[in-house]
Amino acid sequence: MFQNNLKIALRSLRKNKAYTFINVAGLAIGAACCMLILLFVAHELRYDRWNPNAERIYRPVADIKFGGSEFKLAVVGSVVGPDVVQALPEVQAYCRFRQNGSCLVKRDGLGQPNIREEDVLTTDSSFFEVFPAKLLEGDPLKCLTQPHSVAISKSRAEKFFGSPQLALGQTLVLDNRERWQVSGVFEDLPVATHFKADFLLAINGNQEVKEDPPLWATSNNFQTYLLLRKGADPESFKAKFAALSREKINETGQRMMGTTLEELEKTGQHARYNLQWLPDIHLHSDLTAEFQPNGNIQYVWIFSAIAAFILLIACINFMNLSTARSAHRAREIGVRKVLGSQRSALIRQFLSETTLLAALAMALAVLITATALPAFSDLTNRPMEMPWSQPLFWISIVASIGVIGIMAGIYPAFFLSAFDAIKVLKSQTTGRAGGGRLRSALVVFQFSTAIVLIIATALVYQQMNFIQHKKLGFQKEQVLIIDDAYALGDNIQAFKQDMLNQPGVEAASVSGFLPVPSNRNDNTFSKIREFREDQSVNMQNWRVDKDYLKTLGLELKTGRYFDPAAHPSDSTAIVLNERAAELFGYPDQPIGKKVYGVSGRINGQPKPEDFVEYTVIGVVKNFHFASLRDNIGALSLSLGNSTGAMTIRYQATESQSLIAAMERSWKTMAPEQPFGYRFMDDAFARMYAAEQRIGTIAGIFAILAVLISCLGLFGLAAFTAEQRTKEIGVRKVLGASLGGIIGLLSQDFLKLVFISLVVATPPAWYFMHRWLENFAFRVEIKWWVFALAGFAAVVIAVLTVGYQSVKAALANPVKSLRSE
Amino acid sequence: MIKTVKLAKVYRTEEVETTALNEVDVDIKEGEFVSVMGPSGCGKSTLLNVLGMIDSPSSGDYFFNGEEVGRLSERKRSNVRKHNLGFVFQSFNLIDELTVYENIELPMLYTKVASAERKKRVEELLEGMNIMHRRNHFPQQLSGGQQQRVAVARAIVNRPKLILADEPTGNLDSANGDEVMKILSQLNSEGTTILMVTHSQYCAEFGNRIIRMLDGQVVTENLVKQYL
Repeated sequence: MFQNNLKIALRSLRKNKAYTFINVAGLAIGAACCMLILLFVAHELRYDRWNPNAERIYRPVADIKFGGSEFKLAVVGSVVGPDVVQALPEVQAYCRFRQNGSCLVKRDGLGQPNIREEDVLTTDSSFFEVFPAKLLEGDPLKCLTQPHSVAISKSRAEKFFGSPQLALGQTLVLDNRERWQVSGVFEDLPVATHFKADFLLAINGNQEVKEDPPLWATSNNFQTYLLLRKGADPESFKAKFAALSREKINETGQRMMGTTLEELEKTGQHARYNLQWLPDIHLHSDLTAEFQPNGNIQYVWIFSAIAAFILLIACINFMNLSTARSAHRAREIGVRKVLGSQRSALIRQFLSETTLLAALAMALAVLITATALPAFSDLTNRPMEMPWSQPLFWISIVASIGVIGIMAGIYPAFFLSAFDAIKVLKSQTTGRAGGGRLRSALVVFQFSTAIVLIIATALVYQQMNFIQHKKLGFQKEQVLIIDDAYALGDNIQAFKQDMLNQPGVEAASVSGFLPVPSNRNDNTFSKIREFREDQSVNMQNWRVDKDYLKTLGLELKTGRYFDPAAHPSDSTAIVLNERAAELFGYPDQPIGKKVYGVSGRINGQPKPEDFVEYTVIGVVKNFHFASLRDNIGALSLSLGNSTGAMTIRYQATESQSLIAAMERSWKTMAPEQPFGYRFMDDAFARMYAAEQRIGTIAGIFAILAVLISCLGLFGLAAFTAEQRTKEIGVRKVLGASLGGIIGLLSQDFLKLVFISLVVATPPAWYFMHRWLENFAFRVEIKWWVFALAGFAAVVIAVLTVGYQSVKAALANPVKSLRSE
Repeated sequence: MIKTVKLAKVYRTEEVETTALNEVDVDIKEGEFVSVMGPSGCGKSTLLNVLGMIDSPSSGDYFFNGEEVGRLSERKRSNVRKHNLGFVFQSFNLIDELTVYENIELPMLYTKVASAERKKRVEELLEGMNIMHRRNHFPQQLSGGQQQRVAVARAIVNRPKLILADEPTGNLDSANGDEVMKILSQLNSEGTTILMVTHSQYCAEFGNRIIRMLDGQVVTENLVKQYL
């Protein structure tokens, strides 16, 4: 009997090629989307799970509100780790990281080229205890204990030395200064790790650690991980940690400012330490000084929902088409019933048919997924692979076939098997397909989903457009950034001059502080020679040169900019932004006012003579130096030597020749140093890469959702037209016009699309409103976006249904009437 | 074999109540060939459906081989039906997706006849009906007469005791119609009971008794002349 069912199923599919195509293609595209998204979600959820200790690792993070600013930091002081291990017996070990940023790395020896390496971290010798990466060479317990020892990844060992074995014991030179001996080679860390590390420098001997004050919340530069002992109770550890951190912050308050934590808190300020569980970091942490931009659980949810909806849309097509087509199967069902088939056997038959289709679709979906995965990996910026070798993958494929087959087939199966044998056998004609109301509801569901996605795409696009064209307060176009300008050494000014001599160059400035991702320096300044919460302001203090204003295109609001030639005293001058002037309480007359900052490291409460006096000489208009997700904070500029980058403003036409000249000049002045540049507008756009990606992905899935819905609508329209053949024939004989008939056939579907728009609007508004709240600067949601999405849906629906309607309307009525 | 006592079938919609069978008493002996005649809407097809157990009576009793079957559950009726009855329809009602061979084989799949036996029986019938050369064709590829022969073959493949035929020649020309009637007569002469609904006096006379119906009631029952 099963064989017979299979035979009928296959023949029926072959006979109705269009129907089979619509069903299989729709389901395959839907399932492929779903698979791609689930691969992405699985990848996101897997972060740091490779670490067998993951469950026992916590990261302390700081939340400090002081002097008008609030910081949520992924970094804490270097003392936090040692203090916690000493105070809390639950903690087995700590591991700290200090990000070194990019470094120039070369093999020791004459004539070796420098290579820029991005993932250089200083870390404790406990690294391999807390993060048990496989060590290929060296002793995991000892390899990072000695000063100036370095452990490198396998890929870097191969890059610099040819193999891990050859690397061991060799020497690397970092930034042309420091020599480090390779004491270990480890297997590259899995991609699903929330930090990247190719070079691990031993923390032993680190100057910064030695100089750090033994106080919490004073200097925060180390990502710190605490490994609990096996069997330790996390809850009691968390409670003890909370008590310990309060005690330590209180101590800092008393020693630095002479106030207790409680007194500080009464003024609305605070300093807290929280704990993050390692497996949560990637999707739940978005703090200042993360190793890299993390994922976002919000997007995981959104994507999962999109996956489910697209699959649902495809299954709905399946149900709709099967029930609509049921009329054609009526006779077969009648015959089978008369011949003695039980209803359960019929249900089984139809379910096996849908399961067969689902299997076909899934096979196709796996193919599509494998083909599209590389592009999707690029799009999501996550390297993903087809999990061919994982049994779970195959189990889920088989399970999906079953579930989709049943989900898509259950309604048609019950509906068809309930046909009354006498009725269907008596009438020569095909029966009227039932389930019209349910079908309409399902079409509304499909189109609502598609419209929500269209609206979301439109709004993400609008917001991205808004960001690109927002007046930022600085000019990002036609500005080149040369990173690591310090590699020029003493030639830096000569290089700058050389650049200024190039045709088309308008200005150049040396500073590592830029309004795109670059150096940052957060300091507390005070109106008096003392830190007091009512007198102090936390702000960025950027060291810049005299050409910075011109090169970046910043605008002065009042006063003047640095001019050390005319004003030698400018070395102690400071320029504020509007926000800083406001926070200091100098909104109108800031010029000539004094602010005080502490330079160098102070152990304990700073004395009045530790403060350096700055005179305010100007105020620049606020500019967006951080992401548009945040409001503009306080910022100050002072003259100083910061050689992290050189910025060059040029005329649009000159970029190619300028880059060539730059590289020539660089090679003479800094031979053996890698040359690299980027455009400021690119760097700016990259800040919103995640959102850009979301926009693109939402767009693609919106198109697919619309496409799958249209496939379904197309099929449905075909069946409606077929069912109404007689009616159309009669109407034509009675004198109905072509337009009238097309209208008649289309209006039912258009009604459904309008209802869909009404259904889709509230959730679309709600979700997009929530998403836009991520941005301090954002577009408004305008009514016409909804109207446009609705209009698009109507146009698409008309085009889809129109073809079938025209075809039906043009048919010869004599033929249709006779066939009845 | 068949005996009904005050058999009634009433169709109800919201406003209208239609009596399709009104206290019908019929008695059909094993081996008979009974034709049912009457104008359209007189209830003859309803009678056939009820006697064929694809519809249930509203009241009255229906004894099949001495057993009351009118009030059996759908499942039990289906069971009695597939082992004892064969159907032939005016519109053939073959399954388009199955070949001639497979259409004939289908009823035996429901009665779980062994595979070798199925093959034997189908081939015998294909031979007997003279459609062996068409065994792998699909119904749309056959003429009307051939389709109806396949339908008859399908009806008798399970060797039913009773064949119910609803206008078996209605869609056929006279030559093909004759052919089918001859097959039915042949089956009857081999011992199969036949109950046939028809509009055609000519066809009706192939049987040995004619039941005439009007407005849901049996009005006359005559033996066909040749048997008088």
